Amino acid sequence: MENDIKNVLEWLDATAERFPEKTAFDDGENSICFSEVRRKTQQVGAGLLHLLVNADESEAVSKRNAATPVAVLSGRNIDTPVAFLGAVAAGCFYAPLDATAPIPRLQTILANLKPEVLIVSEEFQELSGQLLQNGQAVRTALLEDLIQTEVTDEDLAKMQEIRQQQQPADPLYVIHTSGSSGTPKGVLTGHASLINYINAYSKVMGIDENDVLGNQSPLDYIAAIRDIYVPLKTGAQTCILPKKDFVFPGILFDDLTAKKVTSIGWSVNAMTIPTNMGAFEKGCPEYLNKVCFSGSVMPCRVLKIWQEHLPEAKFVNQYGPTEATASCTYYEVKEKVREEDVLPIGIPYDNYEVFLLNEDGTLTKDGEIGEICVGGPVLALGYLNAPELTAKSFVPDPRAREGIVYKTGDLGRMAEDGNLEFHGRKDRQIKHLGHRVELDEIEEAAKRINGIADCTALYKVESEMIYLFYTGTATVKEIATVLRANLPGFMVPRKFIQLEEMPHLANGKTDMQTLKQMM
Amino acid sequence: MKEDLREILMDIRPDVDFDNETELIDGGILESMDIVAIVGEIKEAFDVTIGIEQLIPENFNSEGAILALIERLQDED
Repeated sequence: MENDIKNVLEWLDATAERFPEKTAFDDGENSICFSEVRRKTQQVGAGLLHLLVNADESEAVSKRNAATPVAVLSGRNIDTPVAFLGAVAAGCFYAPLDATAPIPRLQTILANLKPEVLIVSEEFQELSGQLLQNGQAVRTALLEDLIQTEVTDEDLAKMQEIRQQQQPADPLYVIHTSGSSGTPKGVLTGHASLINYINAYSKVMGIDENDVLGNQSPLDYIAAIRDIYVPLKTGAQTCILPKKDFVFPGILFDDLTAKKVTSIGWSVNAMTIPTNMGAFEKGCPEYLNKVCFSGSVMPCRVLKIWQEHLPEAKFVNQYGPTEATASCTYYEVKEKVREEDVLPIGIPYDNYEVFLLNEDGTLTKDGEIGEICVGGPVLALGYLNAPELTAKSFVPDPRAREGIVYKTGDLGRMAEDGNLEFHGRKDRQIKHLGHRVELDEIEEAAKRINGIADCTALYKVESEMIYLFYTGTATVKEIATVLRANLPGFMVPRKFIQLEEMPHLANGKTDMQTLKQMM
Repeated sequence: MKEDLREILMDIRPDVDFDNETELIDGGILESMDIVAIVGEIKEAFDVTIGIEQLIPENFNSEGAILALIERLQDED
């Protein structure tokens, strides 16, 4: 097993020795080399330690920090990975916040997270002030100040001591995802699981120090862990591409070529949109030769076009939830696909165990559809401060073995050739624009609007649109405006349909089939 | 034509103030799916195709800019 390290910072130390001057991250305006990443990580770490010690001198800081969350509110730039790693150097775990998310949502997240410190970059200082207006007592530290911290020998020794005391299962990050109760869930993951995934992913994709990764995922989102940690492990470089590139695909391919991007790990959506808008008519990402996609089902009509334009490239379909550390299975597409093909989700990554369960908890028979479950030293530690929710999805291994398995809520079938197939969801969760969305969460938010009596959210897969059917007096503009203020943009329905009455079945439940016919 | 475009825009993003907003893209207000929807609706309503060359931020930063783009494309026909 390649898991010979127990803390992600060991990768940074080793790579900073091997390639001190090599660029690690580039955001288009600034770039930072590995030795600088290490130096700034130490500065942020030392700065945080000073804060934490000042706050509570009586307690042994190093013992306590492993359970200490540090929230990070910063931009799409090279300082953000440094903020994350700095929190780790101080022995804490980090919680990236999406600065574009609505304030009420961020406040809900902070209330559950209870961070010791909120690291904020200058551009979001005003936002952080608004976030903490509700009286939550959180110390804030300016990222630009932390990066200026003078690191003493004592600080370095302290950080070394912290590192020695840390265990592989200690938490590394918490990443938030949509929750069906109306509150986002914080998925807490430890060093060991992340290290295992990054090792497995780098191996499957064949990434080394000569690669340049093109980052698409927001840095607070699970998919960004590849773009942050693959460079630390391998010495590759990550280009953080501007968000605008994904709105205007004409610029996107030019940028990929200008930055000599060789490898991408993108949401399916980030590939289908430029294709549908004709990006390949204008040019081709010349250096690109490793393409991984995930997040939803890749239409082979689109993949075929990518294969035709990049005949030498490797294409990998990845499947897996945040709770299994971004992934569990992958399928390398070695054949030239036809438009009507459906890709399997493939075989487990190294050290991932994947199996299917019936409703009653027994293993499915060969060829039957069951719930996809994941085991092995690869899982998240659970949902932060939500033991009941954790116990529902992270369950003792039903196969009479030691350990915990995660029930994904996804349905799958094992094909005869040993590749897993994806067969949809057990519940009402959808994948929309690469994000997990609980339709229940949208309904909960809509029901809080005064002029809405009842509502039902549905997803139309073909047109990638969320519909909201509602009864009540609210206008579309009112609803859209309130939902925009409370939900991330991708969760706001595209179509609002006002009904005289919500259709119901004889048993009193909403008649989904009748609603679906109206979409 | 302006009214038709406004109707399209308001249908896609009812929450945006299209009268005054001049940084629809640079301000991060419109997202990629919004642009996809706008381009599709414009094609249908005005019978013009917005090609990859015209898919640049400048053409979408305001309602006026989108309107000017449609007019240019119609003149080319």
